[in-house]
Order: sequence, then structure tokens, then C-alpha cells
Amino acid sequence: MKLLKPSWVNHNGKPIFSVDIHPDGTKFATGGQGEDSGKVVIWNMAPVLREEDERNENIPKLLCQMDNHLACVNCVRWSNNGLYLASGGDDKLVMVWKRAAFIGPSTVFGSSSKLANVEQWRCVMILRNHTGDVMDVAWSPHDVWLASCSVDNTIVIWNARKFPEIVMTLKGHTGLVKGLTWDPVGKYIASQADDRSLKVWRTMDWQLETNITKPFSECGGTTHVLRLSWSPDGQYLVSAHAMNNSGPTAQIIERDGWKTNMDFVGHRKAVTVVKFNPKIFKKKQKNGSTPKPSCPYCCCAVGSKDRSLSVWLTSLKRPLVVIHDLFDKSIMDITWTLNGLGLLVCSMDGTVAFLDFSQDELGDPLNEEEKNAIHQNIYGKSLAITMESQLSSTIIENPEMLKYQQERQGNQNPNEAQGIGPENQTPKLTNVLNGESLEDIRKNLLKKQVETRTADGRRRITPLCIAQLDTADFLPALFNSVPILPGSSASTQLTPQISSDSSTANSLGLRPSHDPTTTSPNKTAEDNKDSGTAAVNSIGMKSNLLLTSASKIEPMKALDSRFTERSKAMPGVTSVPLTIGITPLDRVKDSSSVKEPKGKDETSSDSEDKIMVKSIAKRKGEMEGAEVVEKRKKGRPRKDAKTMPFPQTPVEPSRLTTPIAVLKLPTPSIQKSFSTQVSTDGVTYLEVENEVSVVSGSRLSQLKWSREGREWDVLLPSRIIIAAGSSNVVAVACEDRTLSVFTACGRRLIPSIILPVPMSALHCSGHFVMALTASAMLSVWDVQKQTALVKNESLNPILSGTDATVSQSFLTQQGVAVVSLSNGKTYCFNSSLETWNLIADKQDSLVQCTDFRNCVSAQDALGSMGPLALTQGRNLSAGRLASRLSSTPHHLQQGMTLAFLEKQLSSALILLSASEYRHWLLIYARFLVNEGEMSKLFLFNRSEWGLELLTSKNNEKSTIKVVCMIPGYTFHIF
Amino acid sequence: MAEVQVLNVAVLDNPSPFGNPFQFEVTFECMEDLPEDLEWKIIYVGSAESEEYDQTLDSVLVGPIPAGRHMFVFQADAPNTGLIPESDAVGVTVVLITCTYRGQEFIRIGYYVNNEYTDTELRENPPLKPDYGQLQRNILASNPRVTRFHINWEGCAEKMEDSENVDPAPNAMLSPSCTPGKAPPLGLVPDNSMNCL
Repeated sequence: MKLLKPSWVNHNGKPIFSVDIHPDGTKFATGGQGEDSGKVVIWNMAPVLREEDERNENIPKLLCQMDNHLACVNCVRWSNNGLYLASGGDDKLVMVWKRAAFIGPSTVFGSSSKLANVEQWRCVMILRNHTGDVMDVAWSPHDVWLASCSVDNTIVIWNARKFPEIVMTLKGHTGLVKGLTWDPVGKYIASQADDRSLKVWRTMDWQLETNITKPFSECGGTTHVLRLSWSPDGQYLVSAHAMNNSGPTAQIIERDGWKTNMDFVGHRKAVTVVKFNPKIFKKKQKNGSTPKPSCPYCCCAVGSKDRSLSVWLTSLKRPLVVIHDLFDKSIMDITWTLNGLGLLVCSMDGTVAFLDFSQDELGDPLNEEEKNAIHQNIYGKSLAITMESQLSSTIIENPEMLKYQQERQGNQNPNEAQGIGPENQTPKLTNVLNGESLEDIRKNLLKKQVETRTADGRRRITPLCIAQLDTADFLPALFNSVPILPGSSASTQLTPQISSDSSTANSLGLRPSHDPTTTSPNKTAEDNKDSGTAAVNSIGMKSNLLLTSASKIEPMKALDSRFTERSKAMPGVTSVPLTIGITPLDRVKDSSSVKEPKGKDETSSDSEDKIMVKSIAKRKGEMEGAEVVEKRKKGRPRKDAKTMPFPQTPVEPSRLTTPIAVLKLPTPSIQKSFSTQVSTDGVTYLEVENEVSVVSGSRLSQLKWSREGREWDVLLPSRIIIAAGSSNVVAVACEDRTLSVFTACGRRLIPSIILPVPMSALHCSGHFVMALTASAMLSVWDVQKQTALVKNESLNPILSGTDATVSQSFLTQQGVAVVSLSNGKTYCFNSSLETWNLIADKQDSLVQCTDFRNCVSAQDALGSMGPLALTQGRNLSAGRLASRLSSTPHHLQQGMTLAFLEKQLSSALILLSASEYRHWLLIYARFLVNEGEMSKLFLFNRSEWGLELLTSKNNEKSTIKVVCMIPGYTFHIF
Repeated sequence: MAEVQVLNVAVLDNPSPFGNPFQFEVTFECMEDLPEDLEWKIIYVGSAESEEYDQTLDSVLVGPIPAGRHMFVFQADAPNTGLIPESDAVGVTVVLITCTYRGQEFIRIGYYVNNEYTDTELRENPPLKPDYGQLQRNILASNPRVTRFHINWEGCAEKMEDSENVDPAPNAMLSPSCTPGKAPPLGLVPDNSMNCL
């Protein structure tokens, strides 16, 4: 490891609060305090990376500085596609910056330093909504949203494709919100605040998924920031400042059940920032040794108020490196280079440090396809689209893909000149005005300029416009468009952008073009496209292989081993005192020898389940070992860590394969205690404590209900497996196969219902209770009317013939049971037809090809929320995007869109989701009008719950005269 | 943040005889289309001792301004010699260029000006009564002093209550007595403060 403190990166001694490396790795931004304002500075990365570049005076260090923020800048973040920079500051503003490539270097007029801004970054959008200092900003995967959090206790989700539209304001924190992180899969966003809580919000409906308070109960609100981070595989969320036995820690939160059993221990003061390395690593293959599958692991950097930095590999028991006294004041932010080997850290003391690791130290970073294979394996979808078959209908909307290509191109031509000089920068201004040079203009400016007198006799000069700012640069139009997609055929609107970008990048030497003489933008685009396809092809071929090897990945394993180390972590940190440049080779060797036998197991083509069982056994062994150590260490680990059963295979059903014939659904394991949140109000909780008291040999279990101070509890004779509740009822399933239902006040509604088999899933909504048993039978009861809506209906029709299993199930407010399968299909059971109906299919090609974007207005967003959106939500937006780039003939696309919209309508209808029906009806109506689709006309009548659709089959245009009115939207068809 | 950034001011016809008009070529950039005109002023400081002798040489409206980079030449007549104290005619003084939007000043550019006789004879034995015909004006173009103020670009100047928050310095440089007929804009000078905070 090499360590460097580039002294030239500073804000004239003022604090630096944030640092972020550009996705292309050529530059980085810092944010902090300026002279009398906030300051954002963009720096050149090359002088940090290479000493010769640092000494070369022709290579600029500072690329641009912006002092537009009125007060201190707390956070700077590049968008994933690298086109934008977002900054948030004490002036309550979020600014979005974009590079203006058409203007050459210029100095700040009148500034004492004659340093030129080599690049011109201008603020294209100011986002005003927060009423307090903005502490953190974060771009969502794919740059769909930008989130900002503030000391006004809120989080604002901005529509990054349509700034300054606000998608949602997340309220619920009762203290200053100081950190944000998106789930790399895009399903959640997590926030940490001074109110001693960490909240995870769903992106599907922007409701609270979970509220984690336990690890933070001892925390004082003393840190400036609480930058938490999500691991690149999405499995772990690591918080900033948490406490365990009055020692500061970084809490590890498992995605699976939001369990908080592990933490990073060792810092002496509060943890301010955690940042996961964007890469997933695997053990470095040594030359000569036979390649064997090894466990991929993640890498995480932790910075603290104690001014020290620790870097952890989840495969190691101790931190890889701890660096003390790196700064004079608290660490404020950390950013990794995209290749995962470099790390920039900034501090309140106004300096930054750069750490450079070698692959020997961190391991071999998985390439993008391997990483995607892991995602594919865990979540059933990949973040990038890598399958060849998907290409025709889907766009590559993943910037990772782009970066990967850039890297590839960079590797092909690594010897390209690295120098940036002002002389080979950006186009000059002289060509702006009809071929007249700026000099000519200036000579005659006084004569040429138009001067008039106003009515009150004052002079008025019309200035000569010498450079029109291209509107795309200034209007949010570009935000609406897709990120740069070199592989997509229809990105023509962006092509000039790409070419100009790449031409400037050429001079940076990081993205050498294929043909230096290329001048036509089209050609560049084509080249990109070709290479894009080529890259994807190779991925497509490899992906199968990768999937099999990835299937053996146990993300748990990595952290498991560290679990044993937890108790040792403290001495570990202290025993690695002030070491800079340790090589953990020995340790790597150790762990490799430990894992060897297991590697053989895996290669012996056993079934996946079997391996998992084995590894669990192994884990348990480790667990016990861990406990022994822990006990000796005066119970440093959290209390519940020991009693909490370790995650067992069936916890996440989606990862299991259900045998087709038996139709057995997984049942949750019995836990000593657990709590769930009731409905979406965020204040009602159910707490279960099993075996709470022993009365004359029999064990009782307690169910406790609480809402804002009010609470009740009941005792049950058997251990509780699942508890669920709504605002009206609470239901619990016990080990003895009974189901008890209580009112929201705690009164038992009906005597225990006896179930034939154990319960797999239980849901409540309104007065409805839904039960899914282990034998894959579904029942829904209306406990108020005491009737059965669905009676022991088998899931056989939807499960048979597939190897899919139930991944999600829920009950709508109207008592419709919805079951999602791991193959992406979602069904609901219609009790009047007594049929299973397919309401969402993620593989549905219709979804990919529809285009009704121009029929959706901003205020529609609310109406689109509901059970239907819950099952298919994100997929829809992806489809919308895809459609814009698809080369499908218009009439075909129109037909697909119509078919899709009608499908949505009927699905909303069968789900009895009035708001969604209304939403889709509006879109359908607008689409018909926009497309002039006369064959399908419709009239609306108010019916008992909204609107009713009537379709006319009349095709004779001349005779049709219909007026359609929908509240808020009136249109006429003649 | 500022919608209008002054990128450069070039001093034309410099040095020049004292009686020549001032010419400044201003290049500025605007983020968005500006609904209202900018008002530019050239103020000549007659005496360093007192702002009483400041004279506004001219004020000009500049517009319309679409988003983009623009330039114009601001020409204003030489100062009225009758208003300059005789003892201050020769030597170093200051010329100010200010720009206001909706009555709020957001930038103030100051240049040192050196007035001296070209004739060595006169330079060594300057006449008691300045001979303006022989004076040469030399603006130190290379060293502008730029002060920027945060203003509210969205709305109009805020109420007068804000006046006590104002840095007195900008006011001190602009005296109402020297700006006949320009009272209203000056009345709004207090709003030049950082009122968008």
C-alpha cells in the first residue's frame, strides 16, 4: 500500500467536507468551505496517481472551482454516468453541475489568483426545497433519482430525469438526517440521522421498510456527518456511528431480515463515514497453482472522528490496515476509485490523503460480468443487462457497462499520451459568429452594437451575443434523456455529446478513440456501438459459466469469519499500530488453506442445497467457536447476538428451489424474539417474545402491540412463528399450527384456527387475513364478516411446471391475495372467478416495448402507487426507457402499448385498486388521443368505485363524435 | 447564486487624453434568459477624501439578455472637470463600474486611475490650476478590484428594513449628492446586501 497526501489539494486551509472521484477516474471533486461562500473544486486525478504528472507543470492540477454555493458545501457526488455533479450545502440548496464543453479555459475575472479554470462546469439546476442545511446527496443506481437529506429532518427524492420535480419527501426522522445510501439493486434507500435511528425506505412506494434503533440507542449526536454505505453485492448495509457496549462501532445490517448481529469494532471515537469499495474481490490466483473457486468478498473503508482510517476485507478477521494520525481532525468523506484499488479520504483539517493498494493486498477485483452474475444469482436480476438475448428488447442503461467499455478501450491503448494542456482543450469561441473572428467583432463592437433610448430617455444597449448557450445544456431536457449509451442505436440525440466528450477525453488519454481522425459524430457512435456489442457478446458467452460458479457464492461466509473475529477486533486494531504498508499475504495464505476442502466440495458437482447445508454446519461450528471466545471477552457482543438463530437456509425463500411435485413452501424458523412493523404508518409495532415465562413446566409466549406509547400484550401457550397486523386486526401463527386473530385493541376475535400444516406466510390488511401454508395452500378470511374469501386454494396451478418458488406475497386493502414467484411472475387469486390471474410478468416483452411516456404527467405519480405498482413498479420505468430506444416500427409499438395498457387496466380492476385503475385509465385515454386511435373509443360512467370502461367497436371515423371527460383531464374527439 | 457572471472587462482607448470618453468592453455570461435589463454605471471618484465628489458618468440599461455569453462596449463621457477639486485632479484616483439587477447591485469593479501630465516640464512644475487639456488618463487595467454581492435574482429588491444589515462600505462609495436625477436606484442601494440568504 502506498500513502500520499497531495498538499496541493486544499481549500486554502478551510475544511474539506466531501470528496468524490469521477466515474471515469480522471478527476475528483471536493466540497467544503470557501472564502465567504461554499466551494466546490474539481481536481485532476493524474497528478495524484503519478508523480511525474505532479511535477509536470503542463498538467493542470485544478480543473475548475465553483463558489456559487452561498455557504459551506457538505457533499459532492458524481452521477453514475459521470455527466453531472450534485452538491449540497448549508445554504439549503442542492446544485447540479454539468460540464460546458464549448467554452475554453478562463480565469475568474478579478480574482487574485490567475489560475485558469481548465474545465468549465456550470450549475444547470438549483434544487430548492430543504429548509435546513443539506448534509448528504446520493444518486440512485442508473441515475433515476437524486436523494438529498437535510437537518430539516427530511429526505427529498428528486426526479433526476426531470429536475426539479420532487418524487417524494421522506418524513419520519426526528433528528438531523446526515447520511444516505442507495441499495445497489435499487430496491431501497437507507438514511441515518441524529435521532439515533437508521431507516430503510422502499423505492417502490417510498414507505418505511424498517427502522433500526437498537445499535444507536447509546449514540450522542456529535458527528458532523453519518455517511453509511451499502455493499456492492447489496447484502450488507454498514452504518456510521453506532455503539456496542459503549464502544463506537460501524454496525453491519444484513439485508436479510435487517439483522444487526455484527459490527466493525476498534475505532476510539464515533465513525463518521463508511464507504464500500465498488468492486467485489476474489482471492488473488497465484501463478502455477491450480485455479480453484474461492469466495468473493467485499472491501470497506471506515473513517472516524478519532482521525484514523481502517480498511476491512470481509474475508479477513482483522482490518487489512489501520492508519492512525492521518489527519489533524475528523475524517469527513471517503471515495474509492472505480478499479477499487485507490482511495481518497478528506478531513475537516482541510487536507486529503490518497491510498493506493495493489491487487496482492486486496485481491482480484471481479469484472463487471462476474459482479452482475452475483446480482443475477442473488436477486434474479442483474444490474447490467448482459444477456445477449435481452439485448434486442432492452437497453444497456447501466453506466457500469459504459465504464467497462471505457476501461476496455483504455486497456487497448494504454500508452496514449496522458498530458492535458490548455492548448488542446475544448473548442475556441472564435467560430461562433458567421466565421467572423472574435477579434474582428471586438474592433467594431462600439459601432455595431445597437443602442436605443427608452421611453424615459435612458440609454439602452443591446449586447452582442457571442456564444449561445446551447439550450440542452441549460434546460432540464438532457435530464430527461437516458444516460449515454454507446451500445444503443437510438442515442442519436446524445451522439454529439458523446463525441465531444470523447474528443476531450482523448486528450486526457483515458478514453482513446478507435480512430483518431474520426470527426463525424456518427462514426464515433457507430464505433462505440460495435465495440459495445462485441463486449456484450463475449459476456453473453461467458455468462453461463459464470452463473454456475457464482451459484456457489455464499455472501454470508465472508462476514461469518469476521464474526468470530469480532471479539478480537479490538486488540487487532491496537496490535496493528501505525502501520502503513502491511502486506497481509500470510493471512491470505491462512484463509486459503482453511477454505481449500470446501472448495473441493463445491467442485464435486453436488446439488446446491447440499452444499449450503454443509456450509451451514460449518458456520454453526464457527459460531460456537465464536461464542466461546466472546464469553471470555466479557460479553462484548450484543445480547441478542447469541440467542438470535443464525440465518438458515429457508429464510429467504426466493433462493430456494422447491421440488415441483411436493409443493412445499418454506416456513420461517422459530426465533426467540422478533418484532415487525404493522402497516405503513411507521408507528405501530408488534413484538414477539417466545418462552417469556415458564409456568409449572409449560412455556408461554408473549405478543406485544405498541403504537405511540399505547400498548397491549397477550400470552399464548405455544411459540409464535409469524405475526402480522393491520390497522384493524393482528394475527399470529404458532408452532402448534394454530392461528389466532385479535382486534387492534387486543381482544381475541375468534378461537384459534387449526391449520393442517405449518404456516409459511401470514398477512393482514384491513379486516382481512391471508394465510399461505407450507403445503402451498392459500386462504383468505374476512374476520369482521367472519367469512372465507379464499378457501384452501392450492398454488399448484401457478407453481406446477416451473421450478419457481414464492418470493413475495401480500394482501391488498381490498382483501385480494397477491403472490409473486421467483420467476418474475405475479398472480392474484380472484375469489369470484375462483381463478389465478397473472397480473405482472417481469419477462413480459410487452412491458419492454411500450411507450406511453408522453401520456404520463407529473401529478400522476401518486395515483400509480398501489398493489399493482408494488408488484411490477420498477420494471415499468425500465420498459418506458427501453421503448424510447427500441427500433420497433411505430405501429407495432403502438399495438404493444395498447395491449400493455389494457392489461394494466384489467389487472388494476381485478386487484380492486381504484387509484391505479384510474391512473392507467388516464394514461390509456391520453394514449388513445395522442395516437389518434379511433377504433377504440370509450365513454366513462361513474360506477360505485370510480370509473367504468366501455369500449366501442365503431370504426367509422366520420360518424364518431365523442366527448370524454376525466377529472383533471378533458379532451374531445371528433 | 449569480445568474450573471462578468467574465472580463477590457479597458479600451487607454491611456488617453483626460477629455476622451471612457470605454469599457464588458464580457459577461448569463445562465438563463433575463426577464429584465441590467443597469450598468460608471462612477468617477473625484477625490479620495470624500465621496461628495463622486460623479456618475453615465448609466446604461443592457438588454434583452438571453442565456449565453454577451459583450458590449460601455462608453461614457469624461468627468465634469468643474466638479473635481483642483488639488485632486492630478494623481491617483478610482473609477468604478457597477451593475445592478432589479435595483440590486451584484458586482462592483474598481480600477485605479492615474492622471498625469505627459509633458515633463508640466510634470515637474504642475500649474496651480490643472490644465485638463494636457492631462493624460491612465487606467491600471491589469489590476481590477472586483467585489461581488449576492442578490435575489428571482424577485425584486426586498424591503428597506434590511438596510441595517448592510455593509456600509458600498454605500460610502456612492453618494447621493453626486447623482442628480438618479435618486430612485440609489435609494435601493441597501438591498445590495446578501439578502438572498
